[in-house]
Amino acid sequence: MEFGIFTIGDVTTDPTNGTTPTEHERIQATVTIAKHAEEAGLDVFATGQHHNPPFVAPANPPVLLANIAAQTERIQLSTATTLITTTDPVRIAEDYSYLQHLAGGRVDLTMGRGNTGPVYPWFGKDIRQGIPLAVENYNLLYRLWREKNLDWEGNFRTPLNSFTVTPWPLDEVPPFVWHGSIRSPEIAEQAAYYGDGFFHNNIFWPTSHTARMVNLYRQRYEYYGHGRADQAFVGLGGQVYMHKDSQQAVREFRPYFDNAPVYGHGPSLEDFTAQTPLTVGSPQEVIERYAGFREWAGDYQRQMFLMDHAGLPLKTVLEQIDILGEEVVPALRKEFAANRPADIPGAPTHEWLVARHRAGKDPVPGGAPGTRAYADRLAAQEEAQKKAAARS
Amino acid sequence: MIEIVAVSTGLSEDSTTTRLTERMLASAQTALEAAGATVSTTHLNVRHLAKALTELTVSGLPAPQLEEAFAAVARASAVITVAPVYKGAPAGIHTLFWQLVDDASLAGTPVLLGATGGTPRHSLAIESTMRPMISYLKGYALPTAVFAATDDWAGGAQSGLDARIQAATDQLAELTLALNPGAVAAGTAEDTPAEAPAGTAGESPRATGTRGGEGTSATEGYDRTIPYAGPAEESGKSAITPSGMGERARAQRDRDEFDPEQITPFADLLGQ
Repeated sequence: MEFGIFTIGDVTTDPTNGTTPTEHERIQATVTIAKHAEEAGLDVFATGQHHNPPFVAPANPPVLLANIAAQTERIQLSTATTLITTTDPVRIAEDYSYLQHLAGGRVDLTMGRGNTGPVYPWFGKDIRQGIPLAVENYNLLYRLWREKNLDWEGNFRTPLNSFTVTPWPLDEVPPFVWHGSIRSPEIAEQAAYYGDGFFHNNIFWPTSHTARMVNLYRQRYEYYGHGRADQAFVGLGGQVYMHKDSQQAVREFRPYFDNAPVYGHGPSLEDFTAQTPLTVGSPQEVIERYAGFREWAGDYQRQMFLMDHAGLPLKTVLEQIDILGEEVVPALRKEFAANRPADIPGAPTHEWLVARHRAGKDPVPGGAPGTRAYADRLAAQEEAQKKAAARS
Repeated sequence: MIEIVAVSTGLSEDSTTTRLTERMLASAQTALEAAGATVSTTHLNVRHLAKALTELTVSGLPAPQLEEAFAAVARASAVITVAPVYKGAPAGIHTLFWQLVDDASLAGTPVLLGATGGTPRHSLAIESTMRPMISYLKGYALPTAVFAATDDWAGGAQSGLDARIQAATDQLAELTLALNPGAVAAGTAEDTPAEAPAGTAGESPRATGTRGGEGTSATEGYDRTIPYAGPAEESGKSAITPSGMGERARAQRDRDEFDPEQITPFADLLGQ
């Protein structure tokens, strides 16, 4: 089980004193935060991809992640998310491959569609094609990382003739991919089809919704024969603010909550904490709440926390990461390890993926012969052929 | 079982919108029960959801009570919706409720519209604002709506309010029965198969009851017979057949998009 932090790089005015960091300060703070996460003993740092203010998450996450890779030793570098809709899959394949070599394999990606309409046309795309773009672009990315001299033709970019990604993925094994979605069943299905991971951001909605998406993904993962439902790769987001005195935590966080991007000026802090994973209180309260996630999500692989948003000053963010690293994560590691079946995989590392690849156990997209999905597909093809024969 | 769900926005303690809604609900229930259906009613007051609606608007967080309300609308056999009219348009939070409900929630559902206002000058708000919204949501907005101005509450038969309510709720009952033939067959005559296949049900029972009994002056002389008299080919009267109308839309509405057994296989999305 991995624990980490994810950021969207929002440049937000601190509501308690009216100061706003410059873009330069926010970008430098992000690097400091990532390095601090490693020092505090966290496992993952993930950055969003953004093209518009008030966010300074990088337009191309490998730029930031390569910088952090050079200043860290151990922490896994990931995205939250890589925009599969508006970014050319060829560039994703090559940039993340290069990053993988630089970082010694400490890289994975979370695919997302992005949700702001104006971004699509900046890159020549159409938001109405969001799902088809995510489907075709990822299928191309998947093949780019696995097939040399690829011939390819699709709807959303120019054809490729005898194209080979440069550099080729480290040790012949592409970075692990999570598919992120809040409410699109197609994306949970996509993750299951490929045997990839499924990540739910989980911070803006009641967990009952997250549970349904996770269940859909798990059932379909088993259907495609990649393993049992409880062995599928699940990642969840979360959001906490802590103080040893929980009333003090509420007092400190409330102005940030009330003015936060996305949910500020809406529900009360009390309602939002009751209905979503946001937990504002003592480290013990956070431990108890998050340890309970396995009751509805099953044993999962990755828990991410949003820590550096809504205008919280850098000093506070670093203190919060310290509490996470010193008190919360060690306790959660113990909680999640207890009674975890031995045959449920941990979060995939590069070494684990290399071993799986060499053992010839890479997942087969859509299900290998012998799986229920494979049999269903054959039956559907026969049915279609019969119908075609009957017509002619 | 027929479930009528009323969504109204009664803003004051003694709200005429609430009063009108309750009369419409009772009248619709009477009409359906007279036809032999078992009826349950649910009355949602948007006033109690006002905070949840604004929170969902600005933050996307659906409060549990709002999700329950949306679920009630989606499972309803028939919907009655009544708004107070301000400045020639339905009160904002009433409109907001229907703007936030899922797109297909009303697919194939008969919807009876109503409104209240200070003067009759407000009455076209139903036609200009409420009806197009229900159409967008794929509901069957019934041709007759009910508008009650202050004067209508003076009482007596001359206001005609009760008669208008009856006329409108009869339409609601007729269409609801046409779309749910099993609801009547199950509850009445033994010779009617409980689950008659759509379009082949025997003669439908005709309602003969008069709402409110003999003493209710406003209803006197009004024929409460439900015009729906079985499949068109038999009665030659109703063009509505129980099957077909909105069936596909309702199937779409009732589909659970997160059910692993109902998911569109990824190969279809890939086009392989």
